[in-house]
Amino acid sequence: MGLIRAVMDTAFWKGRQKRKPLGPRWPLLLFHVDTGGCGGCGMELQAMTCLPYDMQGAGFGFVTSPRSADVLLVTGPLTRTMAPVLQAAWEAMPDPKGLISVGACALDGGLFGENYAVMGGLERRVSVDLAIAGCPPSPQEILNGLCALLGSAAQGKEKETPSRG
Amino acid sequence: MDVVAHIQAGEQTDTPWRFRLDELAWRDMVDLLRHDDLPFVGLWCDGVDVHALFLPDGYPLAATLALEGGRYPALSPARVASSLYERTIYDLYGAEAMWAVDVRPLLDHDVWSATAPLSAAPGRGGQHKGLVSFQPSDAMSAAKGRVDGRGPATGGLAPPFYTRLVLSGSLVACGETQTGYAHRGVAARARHARVEDVCRLSARVAAGCSVAHQVAFCLAVENACGQSVGAEIALLRVALLEMERLFQHLYTLAALARLAGAHLVASHCMALREKLVAEAAPVTGSRLLMDVCIPGGLSVRETAQMAQLCTQLYEIGQQAYPQLVLLWREYPGLSALLAGVGQVQADDLERIGLDGPVARAAGWDCDGRRIMPAYDGLWRYTSGRQGGTAEDRALLLLDEVEESLRILDLASARIGLAPAANHTLSVQDGEGTGLVEGPWGGVLYWVRLAHGRVAEAFCRKPETAALLVFEQVLPTHAAEDVELLACSLGVNAAALDG
Repeated sequence: MGLIRAVMDTAFWKGRQKRKPLGPRWPLLLFHVDTGGCGGCGMELQAMTCLPYDMQGAGFGFVTSPRSADVLLVTGPLTRTMAPVLQAAWEAMPDPKGLISVGACALDGGLFGENYAVMGGLERRVSVDLAIAGCPPSPQEILNGLCALLGSAAQGKEKETPSRG
Repeated sequence: MDVVAHIQAGEQTDTPWRFRLDELAWRDMVDLLRHDDLPFVGLWCDGVDVHALFLPDGYPLAATLALEGGRYPALSPARVASSLYERTIYDLYGAEAMWAVDVRPLLDHDVWSATAPLSAAPGRGGQHKGLVSFQPSDAMSAAKGRVDGRGPATGGLAPPFYTRLVLSGSLVACGETQTGYAHRGVAARARHARVEDVCRLSARVAAGCSVAHQVAFCLAVENACGQSVGAEIALLRVALLEMERLFQHLYTLAALARLAGAHLVASHCMALREKLVAEAAPVTGSRLLMDVCIPGGLSVRETAQMAQLCTQLYEIGQQAYPQLVLLWREYPGLSALLAGVGQVQADDLERIGLDGPVARAAGWDCDGRRIMPAYDGLWRYTSGRQGGTAEDRALLLLDEVEESLRILDLASARIGLAPAANHTLSVQDGEGTGLVEGPWGGVLYWVRLAHGRVAEAFCRKPETAALLVFEQVLPTHAAEDVELLACSLGVNAAALDG
């Protein structure tokens, strides 16, 4: 995690500050792409946007266009049909930009490893700036992961909820 | 002769409720189905045969036809929902449905590494590179107007699919979808896999309906083995099914409110859901109730605390529910907006085969819980709005939230009265089906077991028919209501693509 933070600080965050100067509570804008999962990670992301999780207060927000996003947030195993969609979203994002995988499927395919329709996960294919594990990870685990990326502490304690489902 | 008698006149297979027909008899069956309302469940292929499953009076009845030259007569001229199954079969097995109403690809858009990947001899993979192109129907191609597209990456948090709209002004003149973006090859992964592994896969067909898929799969396996779980395990499964319904209905209500611009209502729905989920997760072992069932039993973390959990969920829910209903009914403009979206007729839903809350809110009295023995004394018929609009569906979901809370309260008093030991399942060769009522309707699994493993599996889920209804209802809606319409009908690409 320390290494990731260091890389993000130098390659991503500082560059972003030059391009988009920080204002008060400047949010990090996330563009979500489900690359073919069961939808569980998306449901937990949705839960993270609501009470009692203070996602916006922690400095994050979702956008509906990759052109205004700072980070591409990927859930689900990468299907061959979604791969060009993901590529197009990445190319539409302005530099500097980052890539985060949420859930086991997005990282290594999880239960949905490579086959005729699925390419597996993102690891070993592209450079992932942050991987949040779990099937699916809980909203608090996702928020903690995002906050760790920026070196800030998530608001609220980690609950004793399991990360599977 | 009615269709049931016609099918039963075929050659009986080793499975008492499955009959083999020859091609002429199959064609006659299709002709008879045009004038018969026999409930159609689904159509699937195993590479050698094609099977059609029906559900007369809640009992399975299947017709089987051997593929001849990789072809079979289509069912879609008589059962429109069969169209999606026929397109799936062609994509996966290369088996062609003769006289099918739609022959466009559903899942394979020429990007897979093999064509007909589940056939005995898969073909060379597609050569297409880049974004897949949309393949409109003839009607869509002929429609005039401004063309607009939604998806598959919208930045939203739902599974991916694409909707193409032809607009007349701001209204939809014609709309069609393209799916397959979330196809993970669940059927291929289930072949010759261990039953426990397929159970884990079934939990991830569609999040939010995870328990329904797990329980239906487990019931199918248990029926195939000729074994059943005890009353206590069956009751605990009912409790899990109702928890899932509770969580998912609140999630859907929040999404509907959010899409209708009622963010305060959405926030209240999600806050209540989160309270309930956080309470349940330490006991069940999973926030989204994944991996809580296994063939022969359960795999929740703290089985002994399930009764207490049911009571706690009931108390939390009952405390917040009246305020939530009041807020929903009195929030300015919410009811009026939803009342103008997505009106469907019960007859159309019955013809297409979309059951669940969408059908109940349109006046079709269908609920799989009625025929599940484990629900005896727990489930009851409740009447409600039957206008078939998104508002009626939302109010029905609110009503079912209260009913699920009531069932959990009743179940809590019964849990613990008998030992809840898992049944050690001895996996035997055979076929079985399992049907449960999930949050969006009936989820049915058919499995064939051989040599201690799952040889083939088929899953019927309501999301298949929901896509057809969605496309049918799209015209005359405002373009900005398309997402709201999809949400209120239960369209879910993850479940559909499999």
